[in-house]
Amino acid sequence: MSSVLWLQGGACSGNTMSFLNAEEPNVVDLIVDFGLELLWHPSLGLELGENAQKIFWDCARGDRPLDIFVFEGTVIEAPDGSGRYDMFADRPMKDWVIDLANAASIVVAIGDCACWGGIPAMEPNPSDSTGLQFHKRAKGGFLGPDWTSKAGLPVINIPGCPAHPDWITQILVALATGRTADIALDDLHRPQTFFKTFTQTGCTRVQFFEYKQSTLSFGEGTRTGCLFYEFGCRGPMTHSPCNRILWNRQSSKTRAGMPCLGCTEPEFPFFDLNKGTVFKTQKVSGVIPKEVPEGADHLTYMAHASAARIAAPSWSKEDMFVV
Amino acid sequence: MTSTDLFVSPLGRVEGDLDVRVTITDGVVTSAWTEAAMFRGFEMILRGKDPQAGLIVTPRICGICGGSHLYKACYALDTAWKTHVPHNATLIRNIAQACETLQSIPRYFYALFAVDLVNKNYAKSKLYDEAVRRFAPYVGTAYQKGVVLSNKPVEVYALFGGQWPHSSFMVPGGVMSAPTLSDITRATAILNHWRDNWLEAEWLGCSVDRWLEVKSWEDMQEWVEENESQYNSDCGFFIRYCLDIGLDKYGAGVGNYLASGTYFEPSLYENPTVEGRNAALIGRSGVYAGGQHFEYDHLRVSEDVTHSYYQGDRPLHPWDGETIPIDPAEGRKQGKYSWAKSPRYDVPTFGQVPLEAGPLARRMAAGNPDHAEHQDYDPLFIDMVDKLGPSVFVRQMARMHEAPKYLKWVMDWLSRIDLHDSFYTKPIEPLSGKGFGGTEAARGSLQDWIVIEDGKIANYQVVTPTAWNIGPRDGQETLGPIEQALVGSPIVDMEDPVELGHVARSFDSCLVCTVHAYDGKTGRELSKFVVNGMV
Repeated sequence: MSSVLWLQGGACSGNTMSFLNAEEPNVVDLIVDFGLELLWHPSLGLELGENAQKIFWDCARGDRPLDIFVFEGTVIEAPDGSGRYDMFADRPMKDWVIDLANAASIVVAIGDCACWGGIPAMEPNPSDSTGLQFHKRAKGGFLGPDWTSKAGLPVINIPGCPAHPDWITQILVALATGRTADIALDDLHRPQTFFKTFTQTGCTRVQFFEYKQSTLSFGEGTRTGCLFYEFGCRGPMTHSPCNRILWNRQSSKTRAGMPCLGCTEPEFPFFDLNKGTVFKTQKVSGVIPKEVPEGADHLTYMAHASAARIAAPSWSKEDMFVV
Repeated sequence: MTSTDLFVSPLGRVEGDLDVRVTITDGVVTSAWTEAAMFRGFEMILRGKDPQAGLIVTPRICGICGGSHLYKACYALDTAWKTHVPHNATLIRNIAQACETLQSIPRYFYALFAVDLVNKNYAKSKLYDEAVRRFAPYVGTAYQKGVVLSNKPVEVYALFGGQWPHSSFMVPGGVMSAPTLSDITRATAILNHWRDNWLEAEWLGCSVDRWLEVKSWEDMQEWVEENESQYNSDCGFFIRYCLDIGLDKYGAGVGNYLASGTYFEPSLYENPTVEGRNAALIGRSGVYAGGQHFEYDHLRVSEDVTHSYYQGDRPLHPWDGETIPIDPAEGRKQGKYSWAKSPRYDVPTFGQVPLEAGPLARRMAAGNPDHAEHQDYDPLFIDMVDKLGPSVFVRQMARMHEAPKYLKWVMDWLSRIDLHDSFYTKPIEPLSGKGFGGTEAARGSLQDWIVIEDGKIANYQVVTPTAWNIGPRDGQETLGPIEQALVGSPIVDMEDPVELGHVARSFDSCLVCTVHAYDGKTGRELSKFVVNGMV
């Protein structure tokens, strides 16, 4: 039995919606089979009013054991550090966050907003939003760089906009079944088991990437080619299992012809969505991608690309995902 | 920032992301205030950004209606850029948007609304034990099926859009995807599965077609009694239980309605324009006020900020709209009490009035007999409102009625996709323009207004269904729709006013609501409870 309290700050509830899409386990399995005790959740919580507030206070004061505190959404600090732009149960939400984070054995940030600020924190960040332990890529965020929970762990970051339900449920099951020690984190505090691989790992377009064959148009144009060259796809530079663990058990953005936006990385949305950066690859001298796959450099990349184009077989210039 | 600073905070009077304060006099609500308590500033973020930034940013306003945000953001750009949208793209946009709503209907109904039906206040009802067996959270038989299977329709969304929530696969000129044969066959199979295992087996107890023969309140009552399967279905039971516990008796609201409409007939909207929008809609737009139908005109929309935490001294049309936040502590001194603006509509001869958005509003618009062949015409809810008046019950039935209706539409649209034809026409990207895009999220009218200058967003305004419904009083001190709907609610147990929860939740607003109840005579705060809406 693990007790879970889930609250939302500057959130859209997208991670909750994603969580409700889960299977194996689904939300009912988590509670009925895995004995997860959901103390309260904004959409699913049952206790009302003073009973709900009593749960928060009992957890915050240590009168009721809180195993896992899940936070979705940004920590809102405006105006002037007061947090009054996000009030919850008589207090700025940020005050609940610090009390509950300090009371919990383990703290999990769900989605980009809670991990590093996400879209609300993008320029000009009107709500002074930040993540629990990162602000964008800088360690610190709301709780500070050295903060650890009672179990001695930093905030476990499960990023994505939204996070995939499996990334949430499997980690909750791991925590609930005594496998906390198996959750190895990367330098951004993401579970490596999900975030070591690239979004491109398992992408159905990877053969086109291999031979540097570009998709030339959306719609029927995405029946062939790779989205990296023209449409700003960040699959080779983004860490996620989107093409290993499919979305809604069916597909992924890149499989469906949509460029990866890099939403499991702290810089999302990249380039602050400034003019000319949306769904368009940023280039040097009009042809060379400004960013090359992680770990490569421009010279090697260009040499490899010219060789790959020469080697490209004829099928790589035809439609592959046909009717 | 150090940890110790974080414990220092001024105490506000507002609780939760939404606060509803009501005054109760002699067991009846006599006044109400709805207060949205969280601000992120998306409209400020969008200014100065790439014109297509709205396709990425606006779905993240609300992860519950993200697909609806994408849909209208895309049409705002289609109208601003004067694009060409191939038939297939219109069909896929329709399918995706409708599948989001098909997901929302059971998820909202069982997880957020029906759990209150087991409140101990109803223990006296002879149907109470059955309500508990079906609707009790996590363990109720109907709860489990309805909530778990709600993930099926959005699997179809993922086939076309890659994922749900938060795809951005709709773009000006069409869609990014080009489905294969098996995407279409799988989509059909998934929806059949959902229909067979939840919609017909659990909810209706009859075929979709049989339900859609219900055209009046008498038809609906006859339908319940027609056979055991219908009588004992979740729908049959819900109707009987609502009448037994009196959910048909309160929660009327303002009685005036707005639908901005959604889903386009592909051949009528190849070149999306603001002017051609109403005629091309399948799910119709319209305003129903004072018992009359009016054509919807977005130019009649304005937002008032008299009681909202923003600067501004007069109602503005969203193309001229401003979003300049002020500290709530300051705002309270000026009589402001919510982060929601107050959208109002200038109804011919009525003037500026608040309008209810949502499924009931759509059903009222669909009851207008003056319709084109491709458009939804459905007199059921005009009839029910005439005979019963609007209420929590009628609002819920309007929502649930859309599940069979939209499923049929989606199946038709799927059958019309020509896999060998085009899904996208590359648009020209002009440096300036004005656009308007609208849709119907599951919970109501959702619209974007965009102004593009110098290849960047000069202004972007979003008016959500939650703003229409939850918005505070306006400059005339006229109550917003939920405020008005709360007035008149009988409160049986002053210490546990579950009736307020039913009313607030029947609008399915995307907020976490906290309701405070005050005794009108003594001013004593009776109790507080959180209404489980969603942010």
